[in-house]
Amino acid sequence: MEHRLITAKALHEMIDRGQDLLVLDVRSEQAYKDWRIQGNALRSVNIPYFEFLEEGEVVSADLPQNTEIIIVCNRGNSAKMVAEALTNKGFSVQVLDGGMEAWSQFYHAVEVVESAGLKLIQFNRLGKGCLSYLVISEGQALVVDPGRHVREYLLAAEREGVKITHVLDTHLHADHISGGAQLAQAAEADYFISRSEMDGSTLSYQALEENRNLQVGSVQVQILALPTPGHTPGSVSVLVDGRYLLSGDTIFVGGLGRPDLGGKAREWAQSLYETVFQTIANLSDEVLVLPTHFADIAEINADGYVGATLGAIRQNNEIMRTEDREQFTDKVAGASGATPPNYEQIVSINRGITHVDAGQATELETGPNRCAVHHS
Amino acid sequence: MEINLKVDATGLACPMPIVKAKKGMESLSAGQIMLIETTDKGSASDFPSWVNRMNYQLIKTEEAEGLYRFFVQK
Repeated sequence: MEHRLITAKALHEMIDRGQDLLVLDVRSEQAYKDWRIQGNALRSVNIPYFEFLEEGEVVSADLPQNTEIIIVCNRGNSAKMVAEALTNKGFSVQVLDGGMEAWSQFYHAVEVVESAGLKLIQFNRLGKGCLSYLVISEGQALVVDPGRHVREYLLAAEREGVKITHVLDTHLHADHISGGAQLAQAAEADYFISRSEMDGSTLSYQALEENRNLQVGSVQVQILALPTPGHTPGSVSVLVDGRYLLSGDTIFVGGLGRPDLGGKAREWAQSLYETVFQTIANLSDEVLVLPTHFADIAEINADGYVGATLGAIRQNNEIMRTEDREQFTDKVAGASGATPPNYEQIVSINRGITHVDAGQATELETGPNRCAVHHS
Repeated sequence: MEINLKVDATGLACPMPIVKAKKGMESLSAGQIMLIETTDKGSASDFPSWVNRMNYQLIKTEEAEGLYRFFVQK
């Protein structure tokens, strides 16, 4: 039987338009609890696929007859089985092609700003909560924190008619596999990352410790030297044209980075304190913060991208105003929660020490992103 | 432990392992035990919730080199 398939991109467009639809997620309850497709006002229900195996089951009784139902599972096959059962009962259904695996590999590009001499595009990998950036000026482009699906950036550069000259990772990622080294190679660009992040690495890169100012077209890109900052010890933030702070995993729209992944939570919380109250203390409230992750789709603003002014973040996050060092440390080090799955292996891949194929990479990255922690 | 039925679901992708497990269990009577083997990681993580849902007992789970073995009692 033929089923109507919908791609992740087409599903996202439907959700974005606010079209009337119901996501029927047929994975297990635990998987649904861990991560699922989200959208403003998006209706979604979870009924595991094996419920549909029972004859005479009435699990479909509560499903709407006049709404398009998008069926989602891990890879698409179980959803097809459910689609068949529901089609026979007269429901209008489509199957998400490739399931959550495909959803986790979908990138949505949004223009943040376009002015004379500078264009900034945010890539939102919605299924993972990962953000990356293309900074364009006068035919040149810098990519910051690219995911491993490097074709997305190569195609975007082609669309824009620019050459990727610089690729940069703000830090050694622990939650997703970086496309940094691979993209730099494909585009014949330079790859930048802090040397202190790359212990034992065999990859070819330029150390950010020696490259504090980059020039992309006519735009100055300043690497904020945060000596021992909060997230991982060598993480940096990237200040573009003095106005846009690509903050990596240090500052999020909803809070601060988690400092526990090196097992030194309290020690690293001190660096985060210095980041907030010394290094970025002089940056104006007008600076637009564009992080590498988001934890909740509520962080997507009215213009469709994840970002907020430093002023708004300072105002909305009590932790950003907690000047008492002791209190700050307790709050940050105490609130971290679950570590990202497989993070030790992912770190090793991102250093170029471990190698995996695309299938293994997909499996390692499956699941929610846990790098952004909320502090209230 | 006496195995009353062994079901081979290796090499099969979701949802087939659970479909085969369901058929297998239907052929057993109360108290009997089925061993099912699967190599599909996704299905493997669904087994405990399926067993629970059907009010069967998951007696033992084994995993070695990508092979998952579930011992389910009716």
